[in-house]
Amino acid sequence: MAPTGEMILKASAADMRRGRAFREARIVLAIRLAFICLFFGLWESLSRSGLIFQDVVPSLLNIGQSIIKLLVSAEFWKNLQVTAFETLTALALGALTGVAAGILLGANRFIGDAFEPYVYYLSPTPRIILFPIMIMWFGIGLASKIALGALSAFFSIALSTAAGMRQIDKVLIRVGKSFRATPWQMATKIYLPAMRLPVFNGIRLGFGTSLITVLLAETKLSNQGLGYMVMSIYNRFDMAGLYGLLVIVFAIAGLGNMLIGKLARE
Amino acid sequence: MSGEKQAALVVENVSKRFGDAEESVLACDRVSFEVKPGEFVAVIGPSGCGKSTLFNIIGGLLGDYEGAVRVGDVRIDGPHPSIGMVFQEESTFPWRNVIDNVAFPLELRGVDKLQREEKARHFIDLVGLDGFEKRYPSQLSGGMKQRVSIARTLISQPEILLMDEPFASLDEQTRLLLGDKITQIQQQLKQTTLLITHNLTEAVQLADRIVVMTYRPGCIKRIVNIDLPRPRTSDVVGSDAFGHYVAEIWNDLREEASRGMQDSEAIARADRRRV
Repeated sequence: MAPTGEMILKASAADMRRGRAFREARIVLAIRLAFICLFFGLWESLSRSGLIFQDVVPSLLNIGQSIIKLLVSAEFWKNLQVTAFETLTALALGALTGVAAGILLGANRFIGDAFEPYVYYLSPTPRIILFPIMIMWFGIGLASKIALGALSAFFSIALSTAAGMRQIDKVLIRVGKSFRATPWQMATKIYLPAMRLPVFNGIRLGFGTSLITVLLAETKLSNQGLGYMVMSIYNRFDMAGLYGLLVIVFAIAGLGNMLIGKLARE
Repeated sequence: MSGEKQAALVVENVSKRFGDAEESVLACDRVSFEVKPGEFVAVIGPSGCGKSTLFNIIGGLLGDYEGAVRVGDVRIDGPHPSIGMVFQEESTFPWRNVIDNVAFPLELRGVDKLQREEKARHFIDLVGLDGFEKRYPSQLSGGMKQRVSIARTLISQPEILLMDEPFASLDEQTRLLLGDKITQIQQQLKQTTLLITHNLTEAVQLADRIVVMTYRPGCIKRIVNIDLPRPRTSDVVGSDAFGHYVAEIWNDLREEASRGMQDSEAIARADRRRV
């Protein structure tokens, strides 16, 4: 079939749209790069100006060197492992209990009405103040950090699971029933996939809060983990090393968020 | 149609009351009719005549009712494998592509992937969506999504196809064309079908018999045989006979529909006074 005039028009419109999107993406990229260059430039000139004590604002070169030094040191990897283990275990525990609690809150109106306010109003409180209690219960090792991390992940995951449960399109449930799906099939083939976005969103938020809590707890009382490492570098007053480690920790947190976001989209 | 054939679906004195002892609404009042094998029956009535209640009872989603809906010797009080439902609302699974949506009932039964996809392809062809197997519902138009739902119900090969205003959200032209598709499929599969609708032309275009319901409490006002030739296409809407049937049924419906309208206006007035 020969292309009609309308088809050509449509195609060129699509091309134009694609062209515009491409140009806009390039502008966005340019703005980002410009911002980073500006930031680095300001940092470096501040560092060299001598206005501020050199160690407080170390030069980029020193920070870069310290990052490399950290990345090849066994100590960094050992601590990273500890923190990663704590955070992921905390997240897994928080997700398990959070999803279960969220389903309960979302499925039963009375349970939801009775308990959701607690979860809702407790959710933005700082969990770190419970750290002393966690130490009493679980000791100063990894367990207390995991418990605290799980506790902080729990809330956002439970709340978004409950919300997701209520948002399910009722007709999909009727479809499942009309095809005589078993309760297990209803759960795995309708409820869970229908709720996947809010649940993953909760897990992504939960990851952030549990990482924050774990790192914070490590800076308080601990002898391993990245939080502990930050404090011990700080105590040595190795500022370049401190900035280097902070850059790495931010990069890891960002990467983790991105990874979970990607997983959710799939 | 031979009268001796045993009915595929029997609705017998079905009544349903909603609410409690103090305040209740009789949605259906002793509704009785039959659908014979291969027959296309439409139930038509104004809003509030208990059509959807009837749909839910026959589909087994509303177990608590008086009277009996029977398939063979079984009284329906839960979803029955012989009855396949198509809902009024958009009901495709947004996280499944077309082929996985259509294959869903077979997946529930544990049919292996290759086999169920082959069968799904067949029914996707049947509703005219070949080439869209890998698309997701968000990439389809409203009419296409409803066809996915219909294919998904047909794949379970129900003895009785039960549809609740499946084209309610579509425009008139799409509706006529989809009506053609339905007629075609129904004749190809000799599919026994019960269509719940409030659309006059749709009912006359598709059905062999039309059950006309009254406004609340919904009971049967009349059953009209539609003796329009088969195979039928949407061209039939231009014929004199078609016009006759529409006029005749509208004659019955007008009174009921205006009662419904007066009721809802009275409710609106009462609401305004309260404010």
